[in-house]
Amino acid sequence: MALDDDDNPALAAPPPTANTTTATPDAPAEETAEDLLEDEGAAAQDFRVFASLFKKNTHISAQTIRKGEKDFESHGTQLQADTLEQSRAAMQEVLSYTRIHSGANLVRGWYFPGWWADYEEGEEWQDSKAEDGKKERKPFGHIRDRVVILEGSSTSTQNLGRAVTGQAKDRPGRGKDWLLPEEALYLVERGSLDLWWPTKEFGEIFPPPPAAPVEGEAPQPENTDFDPSTQPTGASEDEEDEYVDGFPLSLQAAYALLIGLDGTRGKISLQKFQVYSNLKRCGYNVLRAPPNPPNPNQSSYRLNITIKNFFSSLLPSFTPSPPKSGPLLKPGLYRSYNQIFSQLSLIERHIPSPVLPFPLPSIAPYEIHFLVWKSSQKWTKLRHPSPDFYLSVVDAQESEVPQMEEILGLLEQTPWAPPKREWEGNHGRLYARLKNGWRNVLMAVVDHGVINYMRWGEGGFGQERIYERFDGRNGSYRGGKRGGRNQGRGGRGGRGGGRGRGEGEGEGGIDGRVKSTG
Amino acid sequence: MATVEPTVSPATAPPGDSSKTVTTRAPAGPPRTPLNQIYALPAPIRTFPLPAFYPNNPISLFHLVYAWLRQVLSPPSKEPSVIHIGVWDPDTCSVHVPDPASIRALWEQGFFGKGSLSRSEPNWLKRELARRGSPEGKTVSEVRTESRREERRLAKWERARAELEAIERQRLAEAALQTPSPVTTEPRPETKSAPEEEAVSAKLPPLKLPKPVVKSFSMPKLKNPVPTGLPSPPLENGVSNGHVAHGKPPVGPAEILALPNSLAKINGTLNNMMLTELRPPTGPAELLALPNSAADLVTKSGLASTVNVSGEQVNGVSPIDGLSGHTGKASAFAHTVGDAQETHKPIFPEDLLPTPCCTPTKRSATGSSVQDKEEPSQPVAKRQKSVRFSPQVESTTFNRGDPPSPGLVSPAEPAAKSNSFAVPATALEIQDKEHFQLAPEEAFFLAFSLGALKVIDPKTREPISNERLLSLFRSYSYFPPSAGLRPDDPFLVHYAVYHHFRSLGWVPRHGIKFGVDWILYQRGPVFDHSEFGLMVMPAFSDARWEEYEHEKPKKSWSWLMGVNRVLSHVLKSLVLVYVDVPPPPVFDEAMKEGGIAAALKKYKIREVMVRRFSVNRNR
Repeated sequence: MALDDDDNPALAAPPPTANTTTATPDAPAEETAEDLLEDEGAAAQDFRVFASLFKKNTHISAQTIRKGEKDFESHGTQLQADTLEQSRAAMQEVLSYTRIHSGANLVRGWYFPGWWADYEEGEEWQDSKAEDGKKERKPFGHIRDRVVILEGSSTSTQNLGRAVTGQAKDRPGRGKDWLLPEEALYLVERGSLDLWWPTKEFGEIFPPPPAAPVEGEAPQPENTDFDPSTQPTGASEDEEDEYVDGFPLSLQAAYALLIGLDGTRGKISLQKFQVYSNLKRCGYNVLRAPPNPPNPNQSSYRLNITIKNFFSSLLPSFTPSPPKSGPLLKPGLYRSYNQIFSQLSLIERHIPSPVLPFPLPSIAPYEIHFLVWKSSQKWTKLRHPSPDFYLSVVDAQESEVPQMEEILGLLEQTPWAPPKREWEGNHGRLYARLKNGWRNVLMAVVDHGVINYMRWGEGGFGQERIYERFDGRNGSYRGGKRGGRNQGRGGRGGRGGGRGRGEGEGEGGIDGRVKSTG
Repeated sequence: MATVEPTVSPATAPPGDSSKTVTTRAPAGPPRTPLNQIYALPAPIRTFPLPAFYPNNPISLFHLVYAWLRQVLSPPSKEPSVIHIGVWDPDTCSVHVPDPASIRALWEQGFFGKGSLSRSEPNWLKRELARRGSPEGKTVSEVRTESRREERRLAKWERARAELEAIERQRLAEAALQTPSPVTTEPRPETKSAPEEEAVSAKLPPLKLPKPVVKSFSMPKLKNPVPTGLPSPPLENGVSNGHVAHGKPPVGPAEILALPNSLAKINGTLNNMMLTELRPPTGPAELLALPNSAADLVTKSGLASTVNVSGEQVNGVSPIDGLSGHTGKASAFAHTVGDAQETHKPIFPEDLLPTPCCTPTKRSATGSSVQDKEEPSQPVAKRQKSVRFSPQVESTTFNRGDPPSPGLVSPAEPAAKSNSFAVPATALEIQDKEHFQLAPEEAFFLAFSLGALKVIDPKTREPISNERLLSLFRSYSYFPPSAGLRPDDPFLVHYAVYHHFRSLGWVPRHGIKFGVDWILYQRGPVFDHSEFGLMVMPAFSDARWEEYEHEKPKKSWSWLMGVNRVLSHVLKSLVLVYVDVPPPPVFDEAMKEGGIAAALKKYKIREVMVRRFSVNRNR
């Protein structure tokens, strides 16, 4: 049994208090509880997956390592000792797994930091439409930052790297997969990439193809057969040959080469790399965000907006200004609370808009750094739907909680993401709508390697006029969130007595409420 | 979380009538007025809606005409019809409302203000009455919260006990397995798991290893080790007192503590402890009386042999009382403390009530201790050092009237008893010590926006105009009050936020208890839990601000994480409310032209919803 004031309320059954906020079972309160349950659940979950991977190993089942309450001290039973020992054994089983890099997965990469230094990005962005004959725009390439060239191809290149095409028609290395520093380092860390330091010129290692090759293909016979794991004890002349072109780099060396200050070409900051690799390991698909994500349908709406603004600017002139020292509410007889509260409106309420005529500029470091997709089968590095999340990475030590201009500038770089349509008009989903916001952005706050993800949403409290519900029938305002629903029943509903106390179980309602304002 | 009671037929009180606001929870009491009627008005303004007209029901037309005619012929007074009176109190920087009718009205019509001695609704008097056993006393939310906490404590205790029992059962089963004596024919509770265990341990060779280790660890200091897992020795002693069933495992914390580990220290006292161990030691006093602390104290003062732990534990007072009296160090305070105790009595008449957890028999039993005989010489010195952690006297285990140590009580007790069963205090006898206070933002909203409040100067008793009230609040939003007023005064920034949400129909209330500036209720604290916690973040986006000095609103990430963590623990979500403050020239000009109403229009408010994002739960 878990109690609602236990250390982690998310592990507890949802407290009845949370249920009062919504009528429907999938309450927003559930989401908040979800948020609470963060990394605690994760480790166990991964283990279960792990353990099931090792199903063939007999006595360790997925149930062996399971989520549960922590035992903080030994209470001397054999059962506890056995469970602990079983967990240990399972853990050891997992850890003692021999990792084998098959030839197909291990690739060699060469570090050529300056090869694309003078590449001009702009054209790649606009230009390369001819991919499979379809008119698709390639994602932004960040070609100048690509510093590691892959020999051959591996499974990882489905998601990573980029074949540089377009501009560099006659340059060697074109058509091959080039990696960004974070991609290369991530692969090195995983053990799927063998990073080499070249001692020869680029052209010697990658001789230009004799004839114009088919794009993206570029077979390199002398390189594809190179693979340390598949050549256990090759001929001696082969080994000599191996170190003529360069030598392999250690993980430390890879870090030293690829991690750098923010904004340095060909490097990535440690914080960003940590976030990148954390997301990749969690199964997300991550791409570097283009410097300025364009807003495609911005211009088409601009006229519309200006006309609307023009008319709305006429409106306030008709409303008389209240007396200088108040009260805002003119003394008098009022038929509804709508009249009363509309007089109280003073401070401009923000109206979220899908189109921003003049979007605020983003201010460093509060910029979109990564585009993040949930893992799915259909995703490829070139063809994918619009991102699920927009992520900004900041250093907890170097930055503060963003100021208004900073967070709004960041939010306005993201696309319009209003609450779900089915939530509209449903008062039970009021909190869900508000919490969702109208645009949202993720921010990864990295504090010495500890990553905190936060979701920031553009709030629209001005969209939710609570006072419109005050004018119930008979002047009495309706019962709680549930009680209000019953208003839909025919005729002139009687007094509000007994309808939903707000606290406790109300009638789970259909949303038959008819707004009866005014 | 409060339970829903079946609402008795709705009383016919007009909405907002403050005379009908009494709520009871006693089943036999008068019918409870539904909350919807008590809190019918969302603001201290009444509306007079005309009845609807239905074409298919001609009578409704008459109804409509009748209502309209009635309002035309004898028009109701202009709203706001009641203008409440508040007194500005510069010391607490709040506005006090003296009139009880106004207090109820302001609370019930929009949840303004708070009682100075209450959580929010001013109900100190009710609580006090209830505490004194008066039938007029009502169950109020604070008490309900307290009882809920008590329930939860007990439930936790029960849970811990069940877990410990399970462990003990397991241990017994294992012990029975290990000693293959023919006597152990009792069915083992874990019949299935035990063979499985064996199978597992047979498969995994290293599992054999910890077995002896664990076993030796569990009972290292047993004087006469019981190999079969029978209850430990102190329990067997406790059995003789008849309170602990024979063979019951040592599951309570006290019993666990009494296991040989700690037993070495406080050898003699435990038997007595067991005597009184009836309830789980959830109260602070009981926890203090547990052997751990007692042992420390005993060893410190060198009175290990004479302390009667049981007596103190029954009375719910920490052992330090008795000890300090003994050492005589507190004798110098004897006089003053005695006086203090005398004066206490009229103030806290609950001293006279019988204590719920102590029976006279127990007292007499404890009265036989060594302490008792020395006591009368300096009886009152004990009061000085009594350590109490819970301010909620009525809730758990001890009362103010409880004697600090057993010897002290016996002479005063009979008198106390005779008094305590006299007629309970009534509302007339108790002076309401609570006052009602409005925060500056609330007071200004009532005065400036609704015109439903008049604030008067405490010295001159003259009403304060809204302009003066504004500058008063603005200057008092600094400490010490400052005359240099600026558009980014804390009061103005917070008022902008308050007004913004109030004018949308939300009920904002101060959120200091949740570590935020404001919390937002959709209807009010009586109806729902607040869903949002607001943090006000002033912003100075206008370029003209660079010429003026202003506070750089820098907040660290750890600050934000802390706020968010606390809020999400109470299932609220965080909203950062950025208030874009107009620069001084713009503000001053607007103030000149249109007063504060125009100036407030220059403020811009943007809400940003913040919450943690779990990578593991969103993929």
